Amino acid sequence: MSHYLFIQSQDPFTETRAARQYELVGDLYDAGHDVTLLLVQNGVTPARQAARSPVFDRLLEWGVPVIADGFSLRQREMQESDLKDAVEIGDVSLAIDALLDGHKVIWN
Amino acid sequence: MSDNTLLTFAFMDPPFESERTVTFFRLLDAALEKNASVRVFAYEGAVALAFARQQQHGNAVHGRDTGEEDHPLTREWIAALQQKAEQKGLSFEWINCGLCVDERGVNEVIDGCGRGGPPDLWRYASEALNTLTIGTR
Amino acid sequence: MKVLQVIDQAFRTTTEEQDDTILWLTQSMRGAGGDLMVLLSGHGVYYAVARQRQPALAVAGWQQSQPANVPRDIANLVESGVPVYAVQDDLEERGLAHLALQNGVQPVSRRAIADLYEQADQIWQW
Repeated sequence: MSHYLFIQSQDPFTETRAARQYELVGDLYDAGHDVTLLLVQNGVTPARQAARSPVFDRLLEWGVPVIADGFSLRQREMQESDLKDAVEIGDVSLAIDALLDGHKVIWN
Repeated sequence: MSDNTLLTFAFMDPPFESERTVTFFRLLDAALEKNASVRVFAYEGAVALAFARQQQHGNAVHGRDTGEEDHPLTREWIAALQQKAEQKGLSFEWINCGLCVDERGVNEVIDGCGRGGPPDLWRYASEALNTLTIGTR
Repeated sequence: MKVLQVIDQAFRTTTEEQDDTILWLTQSMRGAGGDLMVLLSGHGVYYAVARQRQPALAVAGWQQSQPANVPRDIANLVESGVPVYAVQDDLEERGLAHLALQNGVQPVSRRAIADLYEQADQIWQW
């Protein structure tokens, strides 16, 4: 089993590639790898409760851990209560932890 | 032989055009905070991040003079990271792609930033515990 | 250390280094001993079927003499032992599936990308 952290800066509303990136995250998760999605910048936008993105929501339904960068949320005036249930709040330092643990850290 | 406290970052964006630049600097700061030494390979527009002639300016729209506006400059962020690393006994190295520098005429860089080429990125990556590349768009 | 270079964009800039800058970077790192693989995905798959040099740019009487040569870059990478893959689904999505891949470029299905990621120690997304 490998460990992956995807830093997701792209969002499904402006970047069609985001859907493909989510799919790959799902494929790796399905294959039994430890996969986490860290949302940064506009990548946090599908995490808002009323945001409509079936491809993003599918990852949450599957149980892929999704963490949203607190600074990016504050920029968009998004509170914890605004987020979809499974989304947690974190920080970019999670990416540093993953790098120092030797995980595969990939910027999207 | 990799150093298990050393992280390499490759970055491509110029100072102010992208949100990626802010996230990149937050990542560098977080790395030092976690006691990791840092090496940066700046490619394409990112070579302007260390340009020594960056200057603050006033902002008439805001009604503030230069001092009041206190405009952020990436060369100052790099200097702050250098200082933080030194205070923590960590290393902080920065190499600009030299050809990218020449093409943009941003040869004057702040102290502590050097010039090199893609083989330096490979060397940096080979010697580090891990590497993160942040592509531009 | 084996690195997978994921090239997801094409034609973003072909004037700097008069090349695709990531293909150029990859060739240079290969020359420095880099153990590399290349995955062409998204619009990057256009490079897998490229046959000609880029058109020479002309601006107000200025004329480019050395436009980028992507087919040469791909061939150089393959000849230097760098495996080059192109995502078949992305080729099909863009109406490129009927075109022959450059010599040595291997098609890979979207579902098989995860296997490529597993073959590499690091994945560098550009």
